[in-house]
Amino acid sequence: MNIENTASQMRKGVLEFCILSIIKQGEAYPSDIIEKMKSANLNILEGTLYPLLTRLKNAEFLTYRWIESNSGPPRKYFSLTEKGADFYKELETTWNELANAVKELSNAEQAHTEEQGSKEDQNFPENPTD
Amino acid sequence: MANPLTNYKKTAMKQVININFHGQVVPIEVTAFELLKNYTESLSRYFANEEGKEEIINDIESRIGELFQERLKKGSTCITDEDVNAIIKSMGRPEELDELEEVGSNKSSSNESSTASDTTSPLSGNTKRLFRNENDKLIGGVCGGVANYFGIDTILVRIIFVVIAFTGAGLLAYLILWIALPSSASEVIGASRKKLFRDPDEKIIAGVCSGIGNYFGISAWIPRALFLIPFLSIMSRITHWEFLFFNPFGFSFSPGSLFLYIILWLVIPQANNTSEKLEMKGEKVDLYSIKNSVVGEMKDLQQRAEKFNKEEKSLIEEKGKVVGAEATSLLKKSSRSLGDIIVLLVKAFAYFIIGCFAFSLVIALFAFAIFSFGIFPLKDFLLTDGWQNIFAWGTLVLFIAVPVIGVITWIIRRLAKIKSNRSVLRFTFIGLWLLGLACFISLLSGVVRDFRSTNNLYEQEIYLPNPLVNKLELTSQTLQNKYYRNKFFHLSPFENIGLEDDTLFIKNIEIKILKSKNDSFRVTMVKLANGRNRRVADTIANLINFNLLQKDSVLQLDKGIGITQKNKFRNQGVIITVYVPVGKRIKIDRSLNWNNTTLHFDNSADDDWGILLNDNEERGWRQNVEYIMNPDGLYTLDGEPADDRKTGGKKKFKIDGKGVYLDENGNKISIDVNGVEIIEGNDLNKEMDLSKKRIDSIRVKIEMDKMRRRDSLEKAKKEIQQQLEKIAFYKTVPEILGGYLMRPYYLLISID
Repeated sequence: MNIENTASQMRKGVLEFCILSIIKQGEAYPSDIIEKMKSANLNILEGTLYPLLTRLKNAEFLTYRWIESNSGPPRKYFSLTEKGADFYKELETTWNELANAVKELSNAEQAHTEEQGSKEDQNFPENPTD
Repeated sequence: MANPLTNYKKTAMKQVININFHGQVVPIEVTAFELLKNYTESLSRYFANEEGKEEIINDIESRIGELFQERLKKGSTCITDEDVNAIIKSMGRPEELDELEEVGSNKSSSNESSTASDTTSPLSGNTKRLFRNENDKLIGGVCGGVANYFGIDTILVRIIFVVIAFTGAGLLAYLILWIALPSSASEVIGASRKKLFRDPDEKIIAGVCSGIGNYFGISAWIPRALFLIPFLSIMSRITHWEFLFFNPFGFSFSPGSLFLYIILWLVIPQANNTSEKLEMKGEKVDLYSIKNSVVGEMKDLQQRAEKFNKEEKSLIEEKGKVVGAEATSLLKKSSRSLGDIIVLLVKAFAYFIIGCFAFSLVIALFAFAIFSFGIFPLKDFLLTDGWQNIFAWGTLVLFIAVPVIGVITWIIRRLAKIKSNRSVLRFTFIGLWLLGLACFISLLSGVVRDFRSTNNLYEQEIYLPNPLVNKLELTSQTLQNKYYRNKFFHLSPFENIGLEDDTLFIKNIEIKILKSKNDSFRVTMVKLANGRNRRVADTIANLINFNLLQKDSVLQLDKGIGITQKNKFRNQGVIITVYVPVGKRIKIDRSLNWNNTTLHFDNSADDDWGILLNDNEERGWRQNVEYIMNPDGLYTLDGEPADDRKTGGKKKFKIDGKGVYLDENGNKISIDVNGVEIIEGNDLNKEMDLSKKRIDSIRVKIEMDKMRRRDSLEKAKKEIQQQLEKIAFYKTVPEILGGYLMRPYYLLISID
């Protein structure tokens, strides 16, 4: 196991959530989405994005429309459907829970190394993580 | 990515085909097309089991098509291998699609500074380098490139630059960066070497600015504006404005930019043939591009011809100055009746007059603006603080600067052919100008009010330590120390007035000479000043600090009345009266130079100066001549009265053993054995050197012989008088004219 694989696995997990977050802010087309992700320091290949968008669209979380552009072929602008909005909310909840859990665990780990012999960490493995 | 240099070297001909890629025609190299085909096939295989794979592949291909269009728009003539490879890299090969990209710039090309933008995905480069960003540019893309390099938003960088630009260094820095940093366009695949040419197609004077624009990838009117700005640089700094006095309509031309333009004109070669033109714009030179550019050029010409016609019409509909074109075009169009032609001529003439009028107004406006900017630092000597100061600022900015800015903007718009007739802008300008007009009027009324009253006059005795000298000479303590400083800050127009640091010295000194009642010299001084009311005027008059110092037979006066920002200018003046005892002498030195009394004006309604005109006052004396006070007035040491009118014709004509002496209308003519001499000229030319003209003639000598006989004395006298009058007349007429011609000029340069 090397760090690259694990890291990319981590990112892969949150990819959908991130994309949906971007589209939730407003209609966006693929290049736009990639740009925004890049500005948030999360880079993604276009070849990864398009299949993902298509899957989301097939699951009816996204819808799109064509908009003509002067510089080239018409573009697809994606937007969130109602179903997509619900799905997004669930994802958000999931993410928050996950984030809190991870935070607690990693903090607890630090706390453990600082004050050795704390009994709290024995409880944590039993906490449900979604 | 291949090194652009090696790319350039391999400009061997490659076969290029045109494909229809998602509804667009794309010229692409054959080898590149192979690569593309392979990629799409691999994608197809990768997504074989994916639901909706056609759509995915369609999207990806559509995206590739967009990228192609961008390449082509940037100036590439076809898609090359490098293009396709870079695109594939950015889209992601199927093997890579399972993993996500790494964050950060270590591994991949994603944080490339040069091409980051909304529309293009990163295509080039490995490490982060400082480029100019062609895609995110307002003027030259400098801020975009810098922003990309540091990873911050472009707007922030722009704001910082604007702030720095206010110190002056920022502008210079921007320009340097603009020139130094390579354009990201050169990083773009397919761009060949760019050369700096002059553009013969898009030129106003010599195509220098167009060529520069093409090289940097900016619009041509930006360097044009930059060349024009130094011409108007006088607005910001007050340096040399001396020659304002000699040429009231002149600008302070900074010839630097003109020289630069001429140098560039000579040095930069003109892009004549098509290959050079392509090199100028940075396109790769090969057969395709040449053909494209030739075709484009022809179309361009056609369009330009049409545009030209349209523009001509619109120009004339406004205040046309180009009247002749309309005349010729209309005349050419069809045969018109004579009446139409006449109407046309009248219209043309009217437009011409209006154009000239407008033009001269603009020139006057600029001259006035320069003048007021130049004189602005003196306002503190005149204006009281508070409202007047505010009004002055308001006047300067709104009344003067706003129309100037408006006119400049209008000119630049015309040059750049920007058609934006936003009336909001116009109304704003007009509104601001009206506000400035109000400020100006209030300023004027405020100032006038401050000069309304004069003070009470009384004669103040000046103490003379030694009133019994035999002679008194009045001199002025002129500027002893002339520090010649750096020329750029040399405000020479004020030398006469004597501007020293914060004090302005004005020479509002009038000197009167009267006969003393006893045998001592006596000097009195009367102070004059204006003010808002009598009391204020009195106070101001009292504050006048004017000293006289007697050193034996020299009476030294102050060089002027000191005006500071505390003692503001209120038409202060002094009248020095010198009472000369009989038998004593007096001389007014030339250094007093009070003929240049400046900044004094007489309010004829309340002319207190006139009150002091004694009938006893000695008149007609001149500077630098020593006089002696006789019982009946001032006389020169030769025995001539100072006041010419005193003689009243008495001394007009004198004959003695030496010859004849005539004095008529201020012309002194003497006839003696040597001939006729005109010793002195007219009153107006007092300051000029005496010109002596010798008219030798035998006839005159015979006349002189005649004259010696007593009986024919009168007749001879009359004859000679007439002849001499003629000569004098011919001499004095041009002098009179010359005097009149000089007068108004004289008035212009000294603020009389």
